[in-house]
Amino acid sequence: MSPLINARGIGGSIINIGRYAKGYYELFGYSLKNLPVLKISPVRSVLYKQIYFTGVEALSKIALLGMLIGLVIITQITNLAGSNAVLTEKILIWTVVRELGPLLAAIIIIARSGTAIASELGAMKVNRELDHLRIMGIDPMDYLLVPRVLGITVSVFIITLYFQLTAVAGGLALTSLIMDIPFLQHLKGIFLALSFFEVAVSLLKSLVFGLLIAVISCYQGLSVRDSITEIPQAATKAVMQSLFLVFIFDGIITFIAFI
Amino acid sequence: MIRLEGIITENIAPLSIEIKKSSAYKIIAASEDAKKDLLDAILGIRKPVSGRVFLFDREIYSIPARECLNLFRRTGVVLSDGGTISNIKVWENITLPLWYHSGKKPADVEDSIIEVYKQLGVSRSYFSEHIGRLPGPLPAHEKRIIGLVRALLMEPELMIYDSLLEGMGHETAERLERLTAKFHAEKPGRTSVYITTNELSVKNMQADVVVRI
Repeated sequence: MSPLINARGIGGSIINIGRYAKGYYELFGYSLKNLPVLKISPVRSVLYKQIYFTGVEALSKIALLGMLIGLVIITQITNLAGSNAVLTEKILIWTVVRELGPLLAAIIIIARSGTAIASELGAMKVNRELDHLRIMGIDPMDYLLVPRVLGITVSVFIITLYFQLTAVAGGLALTSLIMDIPFLQHLKGIFLALSFFEVAVSLLKSLVFGLLIAVISCYQGLSVRDSITEIPQAATKAVMQSLFLVFIFDGIITFIAFI
Repeated sequence: MIRLEGIITENIAPLSIEIKKSSAYKIIAASEDAKKDLLDAILGIRKPVSGRVFLFDREIYSIPARECLNLFRRTGVVLSDGGTISNIKVWENITLPLWYHSGKKPADVEDSIIEVYKQLGVSRSYFSEHIGRLPGPLPAHEKRIIGLVRALLMEPELMIYDSLLEGMGHETAERLERLTAKFHAEKPGRTSVYITTNELSVKNMQADVVVRI
C-alpha cells in the first residue's frame, strides 16, 4: 500500500510543479509581451505606486540592515584575521556583493511585498474587482499584472544596489568609528578590488529574483477563486515558493558564474 | 444593442429579449439570483448554460477577449455594489476608465464630476471629504453613486443600471431618476436598461418596455 501512496504523492507533486511552472512561464510571457501597456497613464501610475511601496518605502530598513551586516562581517574578519585590509575587502566583496546583497534584498521584498501582492490580488479576485475592471473595458492583466511585475523587478534591482552600498560604506564607517580601521583606505581598496563581472552577476541575480518574486506573488494572488480563506493560503504559497526558487536560482547563477 | 437568444442559466428559464437602440427597458427579475445570472451573462462574466448573448450585434462569448473589452467601453454599467476598485481612492475610481481610454487626466474632468454630484444634492464639503477616501468603508448606495458618476463621464451608448435606486433616500432617488432620464434624452441613440428585483423602486422610471424574468 505505502509504495502506491508514495507513487501517487510523487506523481501529484510532479503535476503540481509542472502546473506552477507553466503558469509562471505564461504569466512572465504575458508581462513581457504586454510591456507597451505602460504607455497608458493609469498603468504607469500603478507602476510608480508599486516602485514606491516596494522600493522606496523599504530603503530606510535596508540602509539599517546593510550597515549592521557590514559592521558584523568586518568585525568578525578583524577578530579572526586582525586588521588585514586586503582580506577584509575580499571577504566583504564575496559576501555582500556576490551573495548577501541580492539575496537579502529578495528576502526583504518577499516578506514585505510578496505577501502584500498575493493578498491584495486575492482579495480583489474574491470581491470580483477583476470583473469590475473588465466591465470598464480595462484588461485586468494589463492594469494589475504588468506594472506589478515590472515594479517589483525594478525595486529589487534598486534595493540590491542600495543594500550593497550601505553594507560596504556604512559597515566600514561604523567599524572605523568603533575600531581603529582607516575608512577611506578600505573603501578605496574595495572599489579597486571589485570587478565589473562581480557587479554584473550580482545585478543579474537581482533582476532574476525580482522577476521570480513578482511572477510567483501575482500568480498565487490571481489563483484565488471565490473564498476569502484562500487568501492567506495564497500569501503563504507566494512566500514559500518565492524563497525556494530564489535560493535555487541563486545557486545556479553562482555556480555558472564563479565555478 | 443587447440581444439574448434563448439563454438558460441555473436561475433563468429560456429567455429571449432584444433591447433596441434608443429605447429604455425595465427588467424585473423574480429573484436576486436570476438578476445576477442575467447581468453575468450580459457582461461576459459567466456564459449561460445555453443560448447566445449579443452586445452591439457581436456574440460576446465567441469573440476574442480584447474585442469584448472594446464593446464594454461603449457600455456604462452601474452595479448595485458600485463596482468599485478597493485599492484606489474614490476620485481615481470615478476617473479611471476615462483616464485609461481617452487619456483625460482627472484634473480635466473635475468640474464635470462636481456638477454631477451637485445634481445629486451632495454638498461641496461632503464631496471634498469623500473624494479622497478609499471606497471600502462606504455604504453600497454611495458606492453605486461612484459607479454612476464614472459611467456617466464615459458618455456610453448603452447604460445598464443594476438596482440603482435601492437603499436610496426619497430625495436622492428622485434626483437620480431625473439625472438618468436627462442622460438618456440628451443624445439620440442612447439606450437605458434598468434591472431590479424591486419593481416599486423603478415605478417612476420612464421605460418603453417592461420585461419580467
